[in-house]
Amino acid sequence: MEKVASGIIIIGTFLWLFSVIALEGRWQWQMFSALVLTVGIFVAHFWEELRDTDSTEESGDE
Amino acid sequence: MARERVTQADEWQAWAQRYDIEGGIRTFESGLTVKVFVGALFVGLLMMPGSIYLSYVSGESGAGAAPWVAVILFTELARRSFTTARRQELYMLLGLTGAAVGSGMQYRSFIWYAYFINTPQAASYEIADKIPEWIVPAGDSVGVLTRTLIHPDWFLPIAVYLAQKLLGTLRIVSGQYILFRLTADLERLPYPMAPITAQGATALAETTGKEETWRWRVFSIGSMAGLIWGFLYIGVPSLTGVMMSQPIQILKIPWIDFTQSIEGFAPTGVFALRTDFGQMLFGFVLPFPIVMTEFITAMASQFILNPQILYRYEILNQWKPGLDVRAVGLFNGLDFWISYGMGKSFSLALVGMAASIPMLFKLRKSKKTAGERGSMATPPNRGDFPIWLMGLLWLVGMGGFVWLIHWMVPNFPLSFLLGYAFLYTPINSYITARTFGVLGRDLFEIPYLHEITFILSRYEEIDIWFAPLPDEDYGRGTQGWRVLELTGTTFTSNLAGTLLIMPILIVSGIVVMHFIWKIAPIPSAQYPFAQMMWPINATNECLWKTSLRDGNSQMLQAIRGDYVAAGFTSSLAIYGMLWVFKLPSMWFYGIIGGIGADPGSMIARLLGAIIGRFYMIKRFGMKRWYMFNPVLAAGFACGVGLIGMGTVAIALVSKAVIVKPF
Repeated sequence: MEKVASGIIIIGTFLWLFSVIALEGRWQWQMFSALVLTVGIFVAHFWEELRDTDSTEESGDE
Repeated sequence: MARERVTQADEWQAWAQRYDIEGGIRTFESGLTVKVFVGALFVGLLMMPGSIYLSYVSGESGAGAAPWVAVILFTELARRSFTTARRQELYMLLGLTGAAVGSGMQYRSFIWYAYFINTPQAASYEIADKIPEWIVPAGDSVGVLTRTLIHPDWFLPIAVYLAQKLLGTLRIVSGQYILFRLTADLERLPYPMAPITAQGATALAETTGKEETWRWRVFSIGSMAGLIWGFLYIGVPSLTGVMMSQPIQILKIPWIDFTQSIEGFAPTGVFALRTDFGQMLFGFVLPFPIVMTEFITAMASQFILNPQILYRYEILNQWKPGLDVRAVGLFNGLDFWISYGMGKSFSLALVGMAASIPMLFKLRKSKKTAGERGSMATPPNRGDFPIWLMGLLWLVGMGGFVWLIHWMVPNFPLSFLLGYAFLYTPINSYITARTFGVLGRDLFEIPYLHEITFILSRYEEIDIWFAPLPDEDYGRGTQGWRVLELTGTTFTSNLAGTLLIMPILIVSGIVVMHFIWKIAPIPSAQYPFAQMMWPINATNECLWKTSLRDGNSQMLQAIRGDYVAAGFTSSLAIYGMLWVFKLPSMWFYGIIGGIGADPGSMIARLLGAIIGRFYMIKRFGMKRWYMFNPVLAAGFACGVGLIGMGTVAIALVSKAVIVKPF
């Protein structure tokens, strides 16, 4: 999941740069990039938190 | 070797522990005792009339130092009576005295509007006859003409004010508490500025004990530094201002402007060196990564981004050579940075939600102990309240407030009020709570929000300008709850103290304001500051309240969707890329704080951070330094405050003396 989150964030960042450089920074395209980035950031945080729980539970079992 | 990922949870937890006095282990005690209550009332009510009077005479109330004076008096009395004062008592004393001294100012608007309604400006702008009666009685009423607040004419404005006060208390206490639980308990944000107040009270409490510890020594060093700096920076200009027509400033206040010096190689860049080197103390306290990234980003903004990109592509297009920092800042703001700033502020809310929502999911899965990130469990005996009860109180307070505003301006669209109350206020407050939790200051502000609302609502009556709107911010207040926690003061005792003192202050404030108004008309020669400023303020208020009559506002035109989107998306991209490259999330808050800002305003803070990081930590060790620096900063604030109060007193005496020409 870490790689998925990183991939989405990198795609979102490139989309934003593209929208600013090639599409005259129109807000619609920028907000689309923001949507992609938001998804990436949420995935990243869900992965961080849930991974932490899994490892805690595992160590507790030991 | 690949960098190891440190989760945001671990990062914040580590910082929170650095700022936690006594390593998070503490007992909670009530700070409310009869002697604290009487002491706060005595000092507060003694200083309140002077504070109101001073604000009309000189424009400075001098109220900032009053709570510290009360605490120092209290500890001295305790020492001489061979008793001790607990830090919980002293912190409570700080809060209650501050409330008591400031209580007179809550009625300032009555006096202001009693003056405003009869000004030629209000008449010429055709406002005078449209000021609602729930703000001030009619201009020709007995209550206004005879300058008396204790009169039936004032019943409606005072009743409306009291209803707002009651509902406001419900909302503020409950709103702040819920946000505190979210940011301090659940997210474990460090609140770097909270230990300053907490350690100040702790240091002074120790002076009454049998053994004085390092705290009192460090507090004294800080106080002496504050006294010296306060004398040079505030005292000399204030005192020479009393004697001379042009006051002497040892260091130019508030800054030395280098903007014109850099315009040759950095057009549209600003650089004004802020001369308040007291800021160094805050640099000691704030997390080093934040101060550093903030400064680097601000330098990049003013020396690369503004001149090489935004100016070159004519986004910053109002700049002209020869402008000073204020003009360049204003034009840059109108051209780009106001819009960008709005967008980046919204990103803070989204980032906060992204960090919090997974934690809420996780709460269902695992049980955590109090004090651990991701846990809503409360420490024992802290005096917590049920979250559902606080939520209910907030709903009642906000619902009642919306109803009250609807009663005041019945034709204003209710949907706007509901949107502000139940959508904007929670989001705005949450963002501010987070920025206070991380940076110790506010970052989120949408300029001219009321203007935008009034235009969008198509409401044209003037009465809406006088009504309060439910666009509130409880985030700033969450820091106070953190200080309570750090001082080990039970939440219940603080709430009880606030509620007990409130009715006394409501009545005493009205009475004192009534008598000060009776002394002489405000403004008049007796109150020179008011006499000088109020006519200008009246003109400004008229301009402001009629600014939308022709549907043209320069400020509204400045807000551009493309730039707001750029601020929002670029901030998310920065946050995301920091995560991808496993860099500390602290950097994000530094970058966001520094982008578009003036690096000159950060020099003192940066110096403090560098000295702290590369000298003090090596000299004292990290643990001891993080224990020392909030105490030092509290002592410094106390010293500067005392100098401020002393110079105000001297200025007051000099103004009270009438020099006869024979």
